[in-house]
Amino acid sequence: MQRTLSFEIFRYTAIFAFLALSLIPTIWMISMAFKPIAEWQASGADLTWWPNNPTLDNFRFIFGDSGSDLIVALERTAGRPILASLLSASFGTLIAMTAGTAAAYGLSRFGAGGNLPLALIQLRIFPPMAVMIPVMIMWAFLGLIDTWVGLALIYGIVTMPFSFWLMKTFFDDMPREIEDAALVEGCSRWRVFIKITLPMMRPALASSALFVFILNWSDYLIALLLTTRDWVTIPVYMASLSSSMTGQLYGAKAALGLIAAVPPVIMGIAIQKQLVRGLTFGALKE
Amino acid sequence: MTDMTSTHPGAADLHTDTALHEGAEEKRLGLWLTLPAQLLVLFIALFPILMQIYISLTDWSPLDGIPWYRAYELWIGLLNYADLASDPRFWSALWRTCIVMAICVPVQFLLGLGLAILFVDDFRGKRVLYSTILVPMMVVPAVAGYMFFMLFQSGGPVNDILSMFAGRPVTIAWLSDPDLALFATIVSDIWQWTPLMFLILLAGMVSVPQDQQMAAVLLGASWTRRFFTIVLPRMKTIIIIAVAIRVIENFKVFDNFYIMTGGGPGVATETISIYIYKVTQQELIWGYVAAIALAILIVLSIVSALAIKKLRGAQQ
Repeated sequence: MQRTLSFEIFRYTAIFAFLALSLIPTIWMISMAFKPIAEWQASGADLTWWPNNPTLDNFRFIFGDSGSDLIVALERTAGRPILASLLSASFGTLIAMTAGTAAAYGLSRFGAGGNLPLALIQLRIFPPMAVMIPVMIMWAFLGLIDTWVGLALIYGIVTMPFSFWLMKTFFDDMPREIEDAALVEGCSRWRVFIKITLPMMRPALASSALFVFILNWSDYLIALLLTTRDWVTIPVYMASLSSSMTGQLYGAKAALGLIAAVPPVIMGIAIQKQLVRGLTFGALKE
Repeated sequence: MTDMTSTHPGAADLHTDTALHEGAEEKRLGLWLTLPAQLLVLFIALFPILMQIYISLTDWSPLDGIPWYRAYELWIGLLNYADLASDPRFWSALWRTCIVMAICVPVQFLLGLGLAILFVDDFRGKRVLYSTILVPMMVVPAVAGYMFFMLFQSGGPVNDILSMFAGRPVTIAWLSDPDLALFATIVSDIWQWTPLMFLILLAGMVSVPQDQQMAAVLLGASWTRRFFTIVLPRMKTIIIIAVAIRVIENFKVFDNFYIMTGGGPGVATETISIYIYKVTQQELIWGYVAAIALAILIVLSIVSALAIKKLRGAQQ
C-alpha cells in the first residue's frame, strides 16, 4: 500500500467512521446503565445520549436495594444468576480443559484417538438446538436440570472442541527435545507430561482456558433450556427484568448487561494474540 | 485430519517416525489420556442420537405422562418425516436462515476485508484501534441482542439519529414490522461478527509472504493488481475457513434474534433454531422435534464431511 498523505487521511477517516458506528450500541448501553429512572424511561424527543444525573441506582436495584425510585421490588436479585454464570462457566471450562488438554497431548505425542479431531469439529458444527431433546431427557434422568453442575457438564462437552484443538496446535508447536532429555534421564512418560510439559505450557493453558471461559459465559440457549429457576444464568435472568406491570426495565437490564459484558471483553483483549488460533481451530496461528 | 492444521511440512513424517519407536507404555498412556474426551463425545453423540432416532418415530410428548422409553406405545413410523416434508413453517424458517446467511456473510466479509487492508501495515494508534474494533465480538450475544432491542425501539436512539437527519421526528416501529424486524436482526449480527471476519482475514493477510509482492512492486505493478493477483489468491484457504465459520454460526443463529423479536412479528424473523426452540418449549411435540433435529444433523454431517475433505485437499 502506498504511504501517501491522502491514503493516511483515508485510512483514519474510514477506521474512525467504522468505529463510530460500531461503538454506538455499547456506548448506549453504558449510558443507560448509569441513567436515573426518569432518563432511561424517556423516549423520542426527550432522549438523552449521556446521563445528565449519573447514578448507580440501576446497579443497586438489581442487587435488591429497593430504595430506588422504582415501586417494584425484585422477586429475585441478580446475585444468584451471576453466581450461576460464574460456577457453570468456570467448571465447564475446567472440564473442557482437562479432557481437551489430555486428549490433545495423547494425540499429538502418541497418535492416540485419531478419530477425535473430526468428531470434535462435527460436534462444533451441529446446532445445539438439534441435540437438545435427548440432552434434556438425559439431564432430567440424571437429576441435572436446573443445577449448575448440569450446566457445567454440557458446557464442558460443547467447548471441548476448542480446548482440544487449541492445545493440540500448542503441543504440535512445542519442541520435543526437552521432553526427550527428561526421558533419557529416566523419567516416566506420565511424569514428563505432569512435571515438564504442562508447566511449560502454562501460558498456552491460560489463554485457552480464558478463550473457553468466554464461550461458556456467552451461552444463552443451553441455559434457557436446562435451567428453570434456581440456577438461571445472567442472560436468562435478564428476561425476567421486564413484566407486564413494569414494562421493560431498561436501566436495570443495561446495568446487568454491562456486568455480563465486561469480563469477556477484558479477557478477550488479554488473549488477543490467541483469538485467531482459537476461532479457526488452530488453522491459523498469528 | 491431524495435518489439516499442521504448518510444518515435515510434521506428519515425524509422527510416524516416533510411532515406530513407541513402546507399550506410550500406547497405554495415549489411550488413557484420550479416554475422557472419547467418553464425553460418546456420551453426547451416540446415546442421544439413538434416542433421537427412536423418539422421532413416535408421537411422544413430555405431556403424555409416559416416560420416553415407553414412547413405542405411540409409534407412528415415518409419519413425522412426512409431516416435516410438508411443513411450510419449517421450510420458511430454513429459507429465512439461508437469506440471513446470504446477507450477513458477504457483508461481514467485505467489511472485514476492507478493514483488514487498512490494518495490514503499521500506523500510529494501530494497536488501540485494533482492540477497539474487536470489542463487539466479545460482547455476550444475548446482551448484544438486548442492546439492539433498545436501539431499535420506536422512541429509541436509531430513530433519534434518523430524526436528526430528517429534521422531523421519525417513529419507525422497527421491531414490529416484518421486513424491518428482519433487517434489524441482520444489522445486529453484522455488527457483532464483522470483527471476527476482520480478525481472521487480517491474520491471513499478514501471513502472505512479502517477497513476491516486493518483486511485483519493482516491476511496477499497481496496488490493486498486486492485491488481486498475489495477496487474495494466497489467502484462499483462510478465506474459505473464515466464511465457513460464519456460515456455520449463522445457521445456528438464535440468541440475538430471539431476544430482539422472539422470532416475530408472526414468524418474520423465525430462524431454524428459533423454530425448533418454539416447537420444543411451546408446542411440546418432541417426537416431531426429534425428527426435525435428526434431519438437520444428517444433512449437516454429510455437508460438513464433504467440506472438510475438500478443504484438506485444497490445503495440500
